[in-house]
Amino acid sequence: MKETMFIDPQRCIGCRSCVAACRECSTHKGYSMIFVDNIDRRESTATMPTVCMHCVEPTCALVCPADAIKVSEDGVVMSALKPRCLDCRNCVNACPFGVPKYNTEMHLQMKCDMCFDRTSEGLKPMCASVCPTGAISFGSYEQIVPLRRTKPVNAHTFGEQSVETNVYLMLPTDAENVEVDGCGVFEGRIAVDEESDGQESWMDELAGETNKSNEF
Amino acid sequence: MNYRLSTLFGLGASAILTVLILVGSRNLQNFDSALFGYTVASVIAFGALIFRYALWLQRPATRTYWKRGWQIYLKREKFVQNTGIAAKTFAGNILAQSFILKRGFKRWLMHFLIMWGCIISAMITFPLVFGWVHFELEGDIGYRAYLFGFPLQLMQGRSITAWLTFHALDITAIMVLVGCGIAIHRRLHDRGAIALQQFLLDFVPHLMLIAISVSGLMLTASSLWFDGYMYHFIALTHQATVIMTLFYLPFGKLFHIVQRPASLGVELYRKRSPEMQQAECPRCRTEFSAQIWVDDLNKVIEKLGFDYTLPDGTKLQDHCPQCKRIMRGISYANLPDVNEPVFLGVRAEESKEEVQTKDNV
Repeated sequence: MKETMFIDPQRCIGCRSCVAACRECSTHKGYSMIFVDNIDRRESTATMPTVCMHCVEPTCALVCPADAIKVSEDGVVMSALKPRCLDCRNCVNACPFGVPKYNTEMHLQMKCDMCFDRTSEGLKPMCASVCPTGAISFGSYEQIVPLRRTKPVNAHTFGEQSVETNVYLMLPTDAENVEVDGCGVFEGRIAVDEESDGQESWMDELAGETNKSNEF
Repeated sequence: MNYRLSTLFGLGASAILTVLILVGSRNLQNFDSALFGYTVASVIAFGALIFRYALWLQRPATRTYWKRGWQIYLKREKFVQNTGIAAKTFAGNILAQSFILKRGFKRWLMHFLIMWGCIISAMITFPLVFGWVHFELEGDIGYRAYLFGFPLQLMQGRSITAWLTFHALDITAIMVLVGCGIAIHRRLHDRGAIALQQFLLDFVPHLMLIAISVSGLMLTASSLWFDGYMYHFIALTHQATVIMTLFYLPFGKLFHIVQRPASLGVELYRKRSPEMQQAECPRCRTEFSAQIWVDDLNKVIEKLGFDYTLPDGTKLQDHCPQCKRIMRGISYANLPDVNEPVFLGVRAEESKEEVQTKDNV
């Protein structure tokens, strides 16, 4: 993959321009495939933008019973082939990054395909072209990295499993990878609220494009 | 992948079809030798289709769903109810294809015309090719159809029924041509389709169907209006295009014809899942799927060689998609270390000493 995405969550201001722009992509017209999640709205304004990380060995494609998810020659993990997708949601629940979305009525899975209609013509993906802060950038490694102070990393560890991706995450540290090892506590202050009933605040519901299980 | 087993299934399927042709045509008594080429191609293509299907069922995820679908369907106490659900799904999803209608009317119309055009054609031609159906002339203009050698009702050669019967393949050819026309128009104008399509996968099937339909219509035109001009050449061309399409069936886009009915099992699995124990996300406690689905998925993931076990003993896939994203966000947010050179605003490659020297200056 010559040109790819570089995601820098610390630059994300949660404006959701990317979410709006993503709907314009011709390969999934009208539906946004990008996520901007609040880490914990009560404690922080921090947001986490998530696009498909385009894994080198995509779990979503391997767990697909219909063999519907194909990887392009450039390593872009595509949306499920429409004639094949059985709407079983295996990919939705298997993806370590929580990326694929599904729609029961249309019997369809869709996901970020790096705006294949644009990138295959040398244009930037919609999200990268509208992001005002550079939280989502698109270009070659040689182009982007010298412009940034942060460290590009494409290795992620989920418990025992390491996942190599074609999309880079920009780290404000010298760490070699991002380790996800549990429910998570943010800066020692945010723990999962024991009293929480799992409900989102009204603002999250308003901003959200999907429910928690990624139905759009 | 166990190719040997799949090959055996394929060969077995071809053998069974051959026996059925022999029996159905009453020991080839009703078999039309002019259609021998089609018969051989059908027997080979059927074997290839079963070979491919058997290979497909060996994928860990496919096998799990296949088994689970049948297991849920055959539960004795729910069998009648399950049959009802499966019949409803079959009518809605396979016959009417309502899910394609939700994707767009033009798309639905295109698929509906191509699918029914092909299915009706297949229902007419395959029994004729295999000698299961044949016609005999009775009197001056009376035709009698025979099914497996058993006589059916006599029809008058000049009646509307006879006209529709003899021209059914012309009608289906027009259906297929209109459907393929809509599909190709879309493929030439839709930006998304243009970006994703591949010639071999997306155009070739349409071109083959068009070739079959046009050459088929030319046969009618030749015999009706041109006194059989070039009839044999057109018949050979038609046969060649049909055989090519039959051989393309197991390996290309058209494989979804046999793959799609698997959605019946998935749909049944999903319709039954609300009654089952639900999987609760350990982080937000949302119920996001049936527990059995998540357990099956975890087994498939393990079979594929992944290990997403987290230090707390849960699997990553036990969490709902949103929590997976937030957990990664939290891990990222916990990363910054104020003593790291990158945090201080220099590149990762530069050493801390250099930073300190710069600061001192």
